[in-house]
Amino acid sequence: MNLALDVIQALLLVAIAPLVRGVVARVKARIQNRRGASVWRPYADLLKLFRKQDLVPETASGLFRLAPVILFAVTVTAAAFIPVLHPSALFGAGGDFILLVYLLAIGRFFLMLGAMDGGSSFGGMGASREALVSALAEAPLLLALVSVAILAHTVTMSGIVLSTVRQNPLHLSAVYGFALGAMILVAIAETGRIPVDNPATHLELTMIHEAMVLEYSGPSLALIEWANAVKLALIMAMLVGVFAPWGMATSTSIAALVLAPLAFVFKLAVLAVAIAVIESSMAKLRMYLVPDFLGMASALAILAVAFTALMR
Amino acid sequence: MVQLAFNSFLTVLLLLPAAILLCRRSSRTRALPSLLFLLALLVGTFVAGMSFWRGDRLALDLSWLTLFPFAFAVDRLSAFFLLIICAVGAPVALFSIPYVERHYSGTKADWMWALLSLFLLSMSLVVTASTAFAFLFGWELMTLFSAGLIVIDGDSERRRHNIFIYLVMMHAGAAAVFASFLLFLPHAPGLDFVSIRAAAATMPAGLRTAVFLLFFVGFGTKAGIVPFHLWLPKAHPIAPSPVSALMSAVMLKTAIYGFVRFAFDFFGGGPAWWGYLIMLAGAVTGVLGILYALTEHDLKRLLAYSSVENIGIIYLGLGAALVFMANNSPAWAMVALVAALLHALNHSLFKSLLFLGAGAVSDATHTLDIELLGGLLKRMRVTGTVFLIGCCSIIGLPLFNGFVGEWLMFRSFIAGSELPGIASAAILPLMAGVLALIGAIAAACFAKLYGVAFLGRPRSIAAEHATEVATAMQAAMAVLAAACVTIGLMPGIVLSPLTAMAQELLHSSGLPEAEIPIAHTLPFIAACIAVLVIAVTGFRRIKRITPTWACGLPTLSSRMQYSSAAFSKPLRKVFARAYKPDRTVEVLYANEPYFPQSIVYRSVRTTSFEKSLYRPAVDAIVGMAARLRRLQTGNVQVYLLYIFLALIALLVFMRFV
Repeated sequence: MNLALDVIQALLLVAIAPLVRGVVARVKARIQNRRGASVWRPYADLLKLFRKQDLVPETASGLFRLAPVILFAVTVTAAAFIPVLHPSALFGAGGDFILLVYLLAIGRFFLMLGAMDGGSSFGGMGASREALVSALAEAPLLLALVSVAILAHTVTMSGIVLSTVRQNPLHLSAVYGFALGAMILVAIAETGRIPVDNPATHLELTMIHEAMVLEYSGPSLALIEWANAVKLALIMAMLVGVFAPWGMATSTSIAALVLAPLAFVFKLAVLAVAIAVIESSMAKLRMYLVPDFLGMASALAILAVAFTALMR
Repeated sequence: MVQLAFNSFLTVLLLLPAAILLCRRSSRTRALPSLLFLLALLVGTFVAGMSFWRGDRLALDLSWLTLFPFAFAVDRLSAFFLLIICAVGAPVALFSIPYVERHYSGTKADWMWALLSLFLLSMSLVVTASTAFAFLFGWELMTLFSAGLIVIDGDSERRRHNIFIYLVMMHAGAAAVFASFLLFLPHAPGLDFVSIRAAAATMPAGLRTAVFLLFFVGFGTKAGIVPFHLWLPKAHPIAPSPVSALMSAVMLKTAIYGFVRFAFDFFGGGPAWWGYLIMLAGAVTGVLGILYALTEHDLKRLLAYSSVENIGIIYLGLGAALVFMANNSPAWAMVALVAALLHALNHSLFKSLLFLGAGAVSDATHTLDIELLGGLLKRMRVTGTVFLIGCCSIIGLPLFNGFVGEWLMFRSFIAGSELPGIASAAILPLMAGVLALIGAIAAACFAKLYGVAFLGRPRSIAAEHATEVATAMQAAMAVLAAACVTIGLMPGIVLSPLTAMAQELLHSSGLPEAEIPIAHTLPFIAACIAVLVIAVTGFRRIKRITPTWACGLPTLSSRMQYSSAAFSKPLRKVFARAYKPDRTVEVLYANEPYFPQSIVYRSVRTTSFEKSLYRPAVDAIVGMAARLRRLQTGNVQVYLLYIFLALIALLVFMRFV
C-alpha cells in the first residue's frame, strides 16, 4: 500500500508539473487583464514538440542529445524523493536531501554542457549565467535544509516531513521562518522565475535558461521543458512538505487518502498564484543584483543554522 | 607470501635504474624496464590491497644497513596510502609507455624511467616508514626526485625559477617536519614510531602544541594549504603530464598521511582548537583554491589549483574529526575521518585521470591553453568521455566517487549540531554551507573547462585536426575512470576497510547509523536513472543535422563562441575581492581622440600572498643576510679572532653548565 502510494505520488508530481506552469501562466494573464491560454496548454506544447524532428547543430557531439535525457531522468528520479501525499517517498527513507540537491546538480551540469555544445554564443552565455546563479544558490539551499534537518534529527526527506507533520503549526520553531525565507528565495532562483530569470524572455541581455536551450528543438526541447516543469513542481512540493505538510495522509484510512491529494493540490495552487502575483508585480533584477538577492538567502540560511544552536 | 611480495616490490623499484643501464644496449630489451616497472606496481597494488582489505601487517627492518634505525611497517593506514600510490602509479606507468616513447629518446627516456621508479619508491618509503629516519629519508628524496623529473623537460630561466621556489618551500616545510620529530627526543628513547607514540601521551601540553603547529605547517606546505600553496601551481604544470599526475594525485597525499599519522595515531587527537584551526585552514584553502582555478585558462594550472581546493576539502574532514574527538564523540570522528580519507583516495583517482587527460589533449593538440581548444569530444571520443567522467567525479555528482566522500562529510557536519557548546553546534553545520559553496563553484569551473575544451567548435587549427591518442594511454585513463564509477556506485567496497582502519586508529568501535544507507541507495538511484534514460531515448529517433542558428548571419566563427574568460566573468566579478585583479588599459590614439588605433587590455590576478606575505619575508631574510655579510671581512686576523672568541665562549659555557 505504502509502496503504491510512493509510486503514485512520484508519478503525480511528474504528471501535473506542466499543469502548474499552465496555471501560473493563466493567473498571470488574468492579472495583466488578458484572457490567457488554457491551463492545459503546456501539455499540448509538449505533445507537439514530441512529434517533431530533433534538430542537431553540425558542430555538436553526442553529448548534445544526451544532456536533455539525463536532465529529465535525474529530475524525475529526484521527484521520487519528495513526500507528497503521505510523509514517505520512494527514495525518502534511503535518500536524503543532500543526495536530492546533488541529483538536481547533475541535470544542471549536463544542461550547461549541452548548451555549450551548440557552438554559438548564446549557449555559453546562458551556461555562464546559470553557473553564477547555481554557484550562489546551492549553499543557502543546503544550509536551509540542514537547519530543518537538525530540528528533525534526521537527514531523510520523509523524516523531515514527518517531524513537521507531528508538530503543532502554532508552535513551530523560529528556525522554520528563516529557513522558509531562504528557501523561497533560492526556489525562485533555481526554477528561473522573475526576479532572477524571466521564463518568457528572448532578449540576449536578460535570458539565462532560455539562452541555454536556444539550440534545442523537438523532443529534446520537450524533455528539457518537462524536466523544468517537474523541477518547479518538486521544489514547490518540497516547500509544502517541509513547511506546511498538514493534511498529508498519516494513516491509510479512506478519508485521509481522499483528503491528501485535495490538500496538496490546494497548497500547490496557492503557491502557483503566489508566483504569478510576484512575477506580475516585480521587474526582473539586473544580472549583477542577483548575487545580492542570493546573498540575502545565504544570510537567512546562516541565521537559521545559527538559531538551531542558540535555541536548543 | 605478501611479505615476500612487499620486499620484492621495493627491491624492483630500487634496482630499476640498474636494469635500465643493463637493458639500454639492445633495442630488443629496451622496453623491458618499463614493463618491469608496471609489474612491480601491480605487485605493490596487490600487497597494499591484501593489507588494506584483510588487515595483514608487514614489517621490514633494514637497520643493519645504516647508522640510524631504518625500518618499515605496514598497518592499515600505511596500506591505504600505499594502495593510493600503487593503484594510481600503475595506470600512470601504463600511460607513460607511449608518452615517453613519443617525447623522449636515448638518455632522457632512461632518466625518466629511472626517476619515475625512484620517485614512487621514495613515496612508498614515506608511507611505510616506521622510524623517523626512514620517514625523513623518503620525505627528502621524494622532493628531490620530483624536482629531477621536472628538470627533464628542460631548464629555461622561467622553469628554473619555478623549480627553485618548489625546492625552497619544500625544504622549509621539511625543516618543520624534522623539528616536529626532534621535539619528541627528550621524551622518547628512540625515534621509532612505537616510542614516539608512547612519548606523545606523556608529553607536556605546551610541547604537544608546539609539535602540532610544526607538523601542521610542515605537512601543510607539502599538501598546499593556503597560504603555503604557492609552489603548487608553479611546479605541477611544468612537469611532464604523467609526473604532474603523480605529484598532484599521489605526492600531496603523503602529506595527508603524515598529518593523520601525527594527529590521530601519535597524539590521538588534541584540544578542540586544533580541529577548528584545521577546519579554518581547510575552508579557506577550499574556497580560494577553487576560485583561483575558475580563472585559469591553462588546463594543468587549473587542475593544480583544483588540487589545492580538494586538499582543503580533505582538511575540512580531518578538522571535523579532531573536533569530534575533543568532544568525546568518537563515532562521528570516525565518520569524518573516513570521509576525509575516502576523499583523498577519490581525489587521487580522478585527479590523475584528469592530468593524464590533459597530457592526452596536449599530445593531440600541442597546447594546454583551453582558449585554443574546443570540439575535442567529437575528435577524441575515448579521451573526451573519460575526461567527462573525471569532471563529474571531481565536482561530486552522485553516482561518481567524489560524491560519497562529500556526502559522509556533510553527514558528519550536520551531526556536529549535537555537540555540547553553542560554538561547535553552530560552526560544524555551517561548514556544510562552505562545502556546498566549494562544490557549486567547482561545478561552474569544470563546466567551463569541459565546455570550452571539449565541446562546441574548435578554436584553432590544431584542435580541429586533433586525433585520438595511443591505445595504451586510452586504456590507462579508462582504468581510472572505471575505478571512479565503481566507487561511486558501490562505495561499500572501500568504506568497510576504511571504517575498520578508523576503528584501529581511534580505538573505538561501532558506527553511528548514518554511514550505512548511502551505500545501499546509490545502486537503486543509478538503476532508476538508467531505466529512465533508456525509456526516454526511445522517444526520439528522427534527427536532422542543421547549422547552428546564427541570428541570420551567413556563418558563425569559433571566435563567436563564449570563451573561457567570458564564461567565468560573472563569478569573477562577484568574488572580485578574492582576486584583486590588476587591470591595465592602454589606449593608443593615432590623431583623433575618438578613434583609438589600438587598445590593449591586460588583467592579471596578482597572487596577493606573493605580494603581501612572501615578498616581505624574502626581503627580510635577504636583508639580514646582507647585514651578516659584514662579519666576513676577508681579513685572516679577524677570522682568528672569531675562533679565539668562540673558544672562550665554549670554555665559559662548559664551566657553568
